Amino acid sequence: MNSEPTTLLQGTLDLLILKSLVVEMHGLGISRRIQQITRGTFIVKPGSLLPSQHRMEEEGWVFSFWGDSENNRCAKYYRLSKSGRNQLDSETKRWSRIS
Amino acid sequence: MPLFVKVRSFLRNLFSSHRVDADLDQEVQSHLEMLIEENIRLGILPEEAQRAARIELGGIEQVKEQVREERIGNWLRSVISDCRFGLRQLRKNPGFTAVAILTLALGIGANTAIFSLINTLLLRRLPVRDPGQLVELLHRYPGEPHSNGFSLQTYELMREKNHVFSGLMASSYQTLHVHAENLEPHIVNSAFVEGSFFSNLGLDPTVGRLIGPEDDQVNQPSPVAVLSWTLWKNSFNLDPAIRGKQLIVDGVIVTVIGVAPRNFSGLEVEIPEDLWIPLSMGPVIIPSSPARRSVALVGRLKPGVSLEQARAEMAVLYESTLDEDARTTGNPYLRKFKFEMEPAGSGHSFLREDFAKPLFAVAAIAGLLLLVACANVASMLLARGTAREHEMAVRVSLGAGRFRLIRQALTESLLLSVTGSLLGIILAYFGTGLLVRIILAARRVGPSLQFHVHTDFRVVLFTTAVTALTALLFGLFPALRSLRSVAAQSLRPASGGGETRSRRFFGNCLVAAQVALSVVLLSAAVQFVRHLSNLEHLDLGFQRDRLLLISLDPQPSGLQGEQLSQAYWELLGRLQAIPCVRSVSFCGTTPLSGAGANRGVTVAGYELKPGEIRNVSETWIAPKYFETLGTPLLAGRDFDFRDQGRPRVAIVNQTMARYYFADRSPIGSSISFDGDDQPYEIVGVVADSKLYDIREPTQRAIYFNIFQQPSPRSQFIVRTNISPAALSAQAVLTVQSFLKTVTVTRVTTMVDQIDETIVPERLIALLSGWFGALGALLAAIGLYGLLSYTVARRINEIGIRMALGATRLHVTRMVFRDALGMVCAGLAIGVPIAFWGKRVAANVIAGLPVESLTPIAFGSLGMIALALLATFVPARRATRVDPMVALRYE
Repeated sequence: MNSEPTTLLQGTLDLLILKSLVVEMHGLGISRRIQQITRGTFIVKPGSLLPSQHRMEEEGWVFSFWGDSENNRCAKYYRLSKSGRNQLDSETKRWSRIS
Repeated sequence: MPLFVKVRSFLRNLFSSHRVDADLDQEVQSHLEMLIEENIRLGILPEEAQRAARIELGGIEQVKEQVREERIGNWLRSVISDCRFGLRQLRKNPGFTAVAILTLALGIGANTAIFSLINTLLLRRLPVRDPGQLVELLHRYPGEPHSNGFSLQTYELMREKNHVFSGLMASSYQTLHVHAENLEPHIVNSAFVEGSFFSNLGLDPTVGRLIGPEDDQVNQPSPVAVLSWTLWKNSFNLDPAIRGKQLIVDGVIVTVIGVAPRNFSGLEVEIPEDLWIPLSMGPVIIPSSPARRSVALVGRLKPGVSLEQARAEMAVLYESTLDEDARTTGNPYLRKFKFEMEPAGSGHSFLREDFAKPLFAVAAIAGLLLLVACANVASMLLARGTAREHEMAVRVSLGAGRFRLIRQALTESLLLSVTGSLLGIILAYFGTGLLVRIILAARRVGPSLQFHVHTDFRVVLFTTAVTALTALLFGLFPALRSLRSVAAQSLRPASGGGETRSRRFFGNCLVAAQVALSVVLLSAAVQFVRHLSNLEHLDLGFQRDRLLLISLDPQPSGLQGEQLSQAYWELLGRLQAIPCVRSVSFCGTTPLSGAGANRGVTVAGYELKPGEIRNVSETWIAPKYFETLGTPLLAGRDFDFRDQGRPRVAIVNQTMARYYFADRSPIGSSISFDGDDQPYEIVGVVADSKLYDIREPTQRAIYFNIFQQPSPRSQFIVRTNISPAALSAQAVLTVQSFLKTVTVTRVTTMVDQIDETIVPERLIALLSGWFGALGALLAAIGLYGLLSYTVARRINEIGIRMALGATRLHVTRMVFRDALGMVCAGLAIGVPIAFWGKRVAANVIAGLPVESLTPIAFGSLGMIALALLATFVPARRATRVDPMVALRYE
């Protein structure tokens, strides 16, 4: 189901990242998770993912910290903050109202 | 909360950018490594895994840049990097940078200087409540400068009977001698103000209280005074115990009751006031006849009342006072006075009337100069743009957006502009000082004026706006041009024939624009210089050169009457004896000193028409007055020392002779004057000459023999064969050695005295002359620069032409044709603009000789001559091209 990667709106990408961060994850993990959630429709390149991650961190929706990955590599992890959680809730409600 | 987080991120991005970048670098690296690992786990070979991972990542630097772009405060980072890059570029071309900055400095500086003058004179508001509601009451005799002094009776009448003002303030300016304990006596600009002055202005005291109606009573037992903040600071060191302090003002003790607000120094632009005293104290401190006391009137309009309404009502009130005044003083000229009312939100100014329009004219010229400067820098940038093409193409290929490139080019322009404006501000500072000195040389019969140029927010705003606009003007166009050509050229090395047609066209356009503007500037300059020259060579009815004027004050000597007459007569002889002196005389008032008198005359045998003005100007003169001045005596005889004691005699001028006697000779006729019971016999007729003002129409004038007056007046005039300045020391010495107790109060020359009356014209002529020359020079430099550059770029083409048989002459003609093409295009645009400008200027400056075509012709010819000169060197360089070398040049 790897159709052509369609361009994602920024707001949609944010929502997908927030959804993926239900548990703490590093960048690659988020990317694979989004792929999973959307059943392969969206493959988010690092060129789009990393900027969004950093923007959301500056907005205060996520925290980042360095940790060990599965293979004992140093990787940057992201975690939802309280305002991020609120954002996720409100965005989800908005989407369900529309659809 | 989010705001706090954002601010923190912003600051972190700004100040810890290294750490943030290092962090990002690590993150991207680790992301890449994880991608590689993932691929290996999927079974892909290591090499392939790496390649696939890199493709998926999309390039480390690109990803990092994309992240950076999302960061808060990224705009600041890119602006800073643009600035750094721009500075580097400018440093690489020091010659270009220096010339551009200097050019801009001249243009921006000139405009800033003129604007600060306009700001001080016209725009600054008084620091009072609602300055827009204030109006000043004026009156004027048609043709004369306005007067703002009214009699106390007029003031009282207006105050009682008006319905348009919520308050009418009266103030009377005076210089007073002030001293106190611990304070040396010195002279203070002061004003007597009536009780409601401060409350009408809506001012609050800094200390204590301000003068109120209760302080302005006649026979006030304890007179009060209010200080200005400046006086409180300079003379009393902000003493908090200033209330209750006693000052001695011209011998009268007053008590200080308060200090005015900090910025307030009265309602006069050019006379800062430091002390205010109730109007009722006027007669006590300055005892003089009440008839001579006059007050300046400023009113505050009632809400809803327009200036027009108020002017109409007050004009009627004023007219009613005129009849009364004309009757009591017997001066029929008073009825001709016209009432005026002007907005007074910016205070009253003596200089505004004379200098407002000239300053606007000069501002327009300065604006033109700035445009020339911009065009100049733009064409320099355009030339440089070709060299930057390669670099631009590289950046485009690396992914730079068009907007980003334009922004970077504009940043460079802004850097040039800002540096130019900083230098320009320094130039403006000195320029303004010079201009103020010139302006203050204008003679005002009255108090000496100060002109302190205020640099307030308006000037700063103006300079900033001009700087930004300038950067846009000269920067945007070349930036857009180089961007357009990038798409076409791509990454090929810049070839010698890389002169695209459109680039050359626009370069030529810029030079043509400079030529057009310079033609306008030069024409304006010639026009104004000519106007000044006309005034300086106007036929005044006498010879103005080599005339020394010496004013004496005989009062300290105690000499009067016959003794003084005798002394002066002998002095005449002694002055005449000085070598190189041709002729000496003296009079009551010298021509064009602005002072004079007139009287009503009755001519025997002349029928008065109803309403006819009977006044003629009168001057008391000594014998040889006309000979010394150089005014020809047309009939009869000159005065004689021996006329003393004999029946009164008079000499009339030609206008008066014709007026009363038509073709008959007036010699021998008898005339008499109001207020004088003696008859006068006319013994001579003299040619007309200017009496009070250089611009006046000819009028009837009569001259009396100074020796027939009880006590002679004391303005000596000396006609010299050499420069009067050279003789002045000796002349003064002669006077002082003979009349030791008579003081010499003033020594000047007639030319200087006249120059004082034409300062606005001198100002415009000086500035437009300089700006015109500067503008023309810039245009010539621009033309030279462009032609040199063009020739350099076309060396290949020239070489081919010469190899194919073109002679040196052909090549020279080619270069000159190019140059003349631009100049003619420039003239075609500039000359019509100059014509239009001439019409506008004629409306603004009175008396401008606009019928003549000479200024525009001269301006055009001047530009052509300069262009030919500028073409000379590039043309020679073109002819020196060796075809063999040129053909190899790539």
